[in-house]
Amino acid sequence: MSTRSNYGWLQGKTVKKGGHSASNSHTRSHTPQIQSTSSTIFGGGIKDPSGRTSEYFSMDDQCPVCKSDRYLNPKLRLLVSSCYHKMCESCIDRLFTLGPAPCPICSKILRKLAFSPQTFEDLGVEKEVAVRRRIAKEFNKRLEDFDDLRSYNDYLEEVEDIAFNLINNIDLPATEARIAAYKAANAALTSLNLQREEAEALALKGQEDSERREREARAAQLAQQEQQEREERQREERELIDKLETSQKDAHKIVAKSRIAAAKRSSARAASASATSGLLGMSFGQDYAKLLKTRTTKVNNVPDEPHVPFQDDWYAYDDLYSIRAEGYDDFISEAVRKDREGIMRAGGYKVEEAWDRALLSAVAGLDVVPLSGLDIPPLRDGDVVMESV
Amino acid sequence: MDAVERENLDRQKHWAKEQKVGEGAYAVVYRGREFTTGRRVAIKKIKVGQFKDGLDMSAIREVKYLRELKHQNVIELLDVFSNKTNLNLVLEFLDSDLEMIIKDRSLVFLPADIKSWMAMTFRGLEFCHRNFILHRDLKPNNLLIASNGQLKIADFGLARDFADPGFKMTCQVITRWYRPPELLFGSRYYGSAVDIWSVGCIFAELMLRTPYLAGETDMDQLKTIFRALGTPTEQEWPGHTKLPDYVPVGQFPKTPLRDLFTAASADTLNLLSKCLLYEPRKRISAREALLHPYFFAIPHPTHPSKLPKCTTQMAPRPLGEVDGNVDMAGSGPGVKAAAPNKGRLKRMMTSPMDDSRTRSIARKLDFTKHVKSP
Repeated sequence: MSTRSNYGWLQGKTVKKGGHSASNSHTRSHTPQIQSTSSTIFGGGIKDPSGRTSEYFSMDDQCPVCKSDRYLNPKLRLLVSSCYHKMCESCIDRLFTLGPAPCPICSKILRKLAFSPQTFEDLGVEKEVAVRRRIAKEFNKRLEDFDDLRSYNDYLEEVEDIAFNLINNIDLPATEARIAAYKAANAALTSLNLQREEAEALALKGQEDSERREREARAAQLAQQEQQEREERQREERELIDKLETSQKDAHKIVAKSRIAAAKRSSARAASASATSGLLGMSFGQDYAKLLKTRTTKVNNVPDEPHVPFQDDWYAYDDLYSIRAEGYDDFISEAVRKDREGIMRAGGYKVEEAWDRALLSAVAGLDVVPLSGLDIPPLRDGDVVMESV
Repeated sequence: MDAVERENLDRQKHWAKEQKVGEGAYAVVYRGREFTTGRRVAIKKIKVGQFKDGLDMSAIREVKYLRELKHQNVIELLDVFSNKTNLNLVLEFLDSDLEMIIKDRSLVFLPADIKSWMAMTFRGLEFCHRNFILHRDLKPNNLLIASNGQLKIADFGLARDFADPGFKMTCQVITRWYRPPELLFGSRYYGSAVDIWSVGCIFAELMLRTPYLAGETDMDQLKTIFRALGTPTEQEWPGHTKLPDYVPVGQFPKTPLRDLFTAASADTLNLLSKCLLYEPRKRISAREALLHPYFFAIPHPTHPSKLPKCTTQMAPRPLGEVDGNVDMAGSGPGVKAAAPNKGRLKRMMTSPMDDSRTRSIARKLDFTKHVKSP
């Protein structure tokens, strides 16, 4: 009881309950979106390690408020209020859309957004998980934070006491006061432990990542080895056949000789393979992160540079022309311009692009230095010379 | 021998043809080498004989546009020469494409990797659009990856230059899964926005590792799009009901992209949603996209040389599919004839442990949960 590992499930890391196989038919996964008749998205609920909520779901569901059941309304979705009473989405919409209102069962004032999906069949469990999750967030001291095991156990006892009171509605005001007092006294330590947990989760993730990379590297190596072996074997066969064809010696002798050579080679290969795998295994034990950045260290260490939008020099033309904002009144594009709402517009044809192209074609050559060494006939009267822009 | 023939022979002498690496509908692709430098190239031999009306349209388009374009993110056409009755295009040799990388389940993509690929795609596309050329067949399979990691847009078999005002274009372009709604509605007047939609689909595919909008027929494609992004209203996309092939497909509610792309940052989703806007005139342009905050945010885009690569050398088929012929009647536009062979090869090379990972490739997205029945 005094080990930390027992508390993982409280932080929403793993939620398992007994008889999992039996309960599977009663839950449905909450991804990507549940069939919902309400326009409100109800958050909350118990999340599993991948961040999904699974929702409890049974054929005998009935809304205690309006008495509609799953037989009549297959889309019935029951949600749980903060006072742990179930009701269906349409009842919630009906009762709470206009603001906070009393619960039809216990008259506690409820809000629409405080309803959450149901995960467990037993609402007592639902409540206990919620309470324990809340408690675990505040009371996250560790064994290292205490002088001896005794005081740690006392602390755990106290936490359990508070949780029990909250679950069973005993001395609620006094218990809340206790929590508040603890919170005030231990704020710094709590946030420190929170940070520690985050760091641990991160480290774990990094380790998993590197292990996965290691596996990939191994698979690749294995495949390569196999390929090599196969190639070698084929080559040997070819050589043997060639030899048998051309050589004058006794066929048996040649075959025996090549067999010996092959055995020698394969044993050498096995030795080298075991050496490399031993190397891999050793490093696996010591420091995976270093060796296993398969793609970064193996390939190179070029740093990732910030994004450069355009990696060539084109925009030299931008200062030579600009498109008139109000467009141009040319007869070619008249049909397109008249068709403001119609098919050309809906298809995404942009007459601006055509103008851009025409203008660009007109100015693109202006900067180019004329070829020298050509005989250009002198201008005569009446030749049109383009004015410089 | 006249001057043209002599010139042609001169060019031909530069290139050595080696083994055959792939065959498309109208071309055979060979691996080759430049004699003087030893540089690896791909030589695409276009079958001329079987076409009664002369050269195939896509060959003409490919030569016409690739001759004009030179950019680090567009495949380079090095030379063209003829041999007997065949036309040969000498192209850069690129050993893999983005589709192979997406499908290789042993690779893990970081957000920075996706950012890097997207930046290179947009750069190449921006260059095409800047030169007033529509690509009209963007898909992962046509984004080739060079050995240094640079992404290059290839297959200009369906490309054309921007239409003059009032000129009709065909709407039967772009592989179905990447085809924008205005083309599915049969618009004959469109612009650069069609390519942006395709890039948006590729962007989503990079994150999902499975095609985002995979419709089985053209009708189903529209339905799939609307299921994923909601049915457009007249306000969102003015005039779309007047498009030639407009048919009401049904009403689907909008669902936030966040529901499907749970791990994406806000910038990412913003850019994605701007690429997948219904109103083509409002869709982001390639130039604007390159200036989008997504690209400037941390993490910086991965340096191309560090991007994930296919580790296992699969059946070599560089440019094998660069034939540009979209199979309009085929069952699945993304499914290649070479696919089963590739799968078998991969299974042989990997350990049984990996087998389960390869099998999940063909997962299809299911938007049915978003449907609100009346």
